[in-house]
Amino acid sequence: MSTALWFAVVICALGTLLMRVVPFLWMQRRLNSETGINNMPQWLGILGPLMIAAVLGVSIVPVNPSAISWVATAIGLSATLLVWWRLRSLGWPVAAGVAVFGLVELGAAL
Amino acid sequence: MSQLASHSPGRSALQGVREAIPLLGGYIPVALSFGLVASQAGFSTLEAAAISTLIYAGASQFLFVGMIATGAPLWLVVAMTLLINVRHVVYGPNLAGLLPRSRHWPWLMHGLTDQVFALALTRLPQLPDVKRFSWFVGASLLAWGAWIVGTAVGATAGEAFTARWPLLGEIMPFALPALFLTMVAPRFTDKRWAAAMSLTIVAALGLTLVGGSNVAIPLAAACGALCFYTVKFQNKRRAL
Repeated sequence: MSTALWFAVVICALGTLLMRVVPFLWMQRRLNSETGINNMPQWLGILGPLMIAAVLGVSIVPVNPSAISWVATAIGLSATLLVWWRLRSLGWPVAAGVAVFGLVELGAAL
Repeated sequence: MSQLASHSPGRSALQGVREAIPLLGGYIPVALSFGLVASQAGFSTLEAAAISTLIYAGASQFLFVGMIATGAPLWLVVAMTLLINVRHVVYGPNLAGLLPRSRHWPWLMHGLTDQVFALALTRLPQLPDVKRFSWFVGASLLAWGAWIVGTAVGATAGEAFTARWPLLGEIMPFALPALFLTMVAPRFTDKRWAAAMSLTIVAALGLTLVGGSNVAIPLAAACGALCFYTVKFQNKRRAL
């Protein structure tokens, strides 16, 4: 890579880091300070879980979309939900979902 | 007191590592793909790994490498890369009240990706205050390390890897939607949240399908927020 390209990488890295750090530190200093705010603004508390839902929506799209992969996605998500409903944990539902999704994909490929 | 006495930073960090393992199902295949794409675009393994180490933001890295390969002007490459990453601005404030103050945050926040944010926002409220810092360090460092190693492997052996196990690259990323589903599922017990969440998921899915994945997260979340406030307004009117 040329010097200019390395410079572009560093600018992108610094800019991205600042977007992650500055709002965090700003809010942390404002929270519980005498001149600031005592609680998180309500809109931020709502936006957080919605961002997770949006990340879910984006990640639902299969790597190679096809009828089979969409069916496998639906079955895999149902399995995940079912195991979550019984166990209310993070690890096992994910393992079960991936296993079921993989089985459907492998079954279709055979 | 007993909570402080029984606290071990190493154990909390390991708990973070363990709980971030499902993220790797999504990280590793995407990192392998990025390494492969970067090497095909003319970047060396070291350069691809450096981009993953320094920028550490999936979608924008693909765009960066793709635009460089097509000969786009550097200022435009930088502007577009930063524009895609603007969504990170709302992640930090959401975690500010959940994490203790520390002089290490300026570099530790480098690990605040979409997925780490989602995991942290779900898990941190369930952890005792003293465990949270170490938990975040463990979870974010595992994800960052996997991303860098995955990129390096993808750049050196990505082509052979995907040729040998073509289905693995399709199956492993399913860990991400499965993980996020378990994170949003508890909110569906409340009708107002369920409506807002459902709209957000459908909007994000729709935007991704029409090629707008870069703006899907903030736009879909904004749609969901609008729905959240609208439903409340309608409920109030009905109550009156």
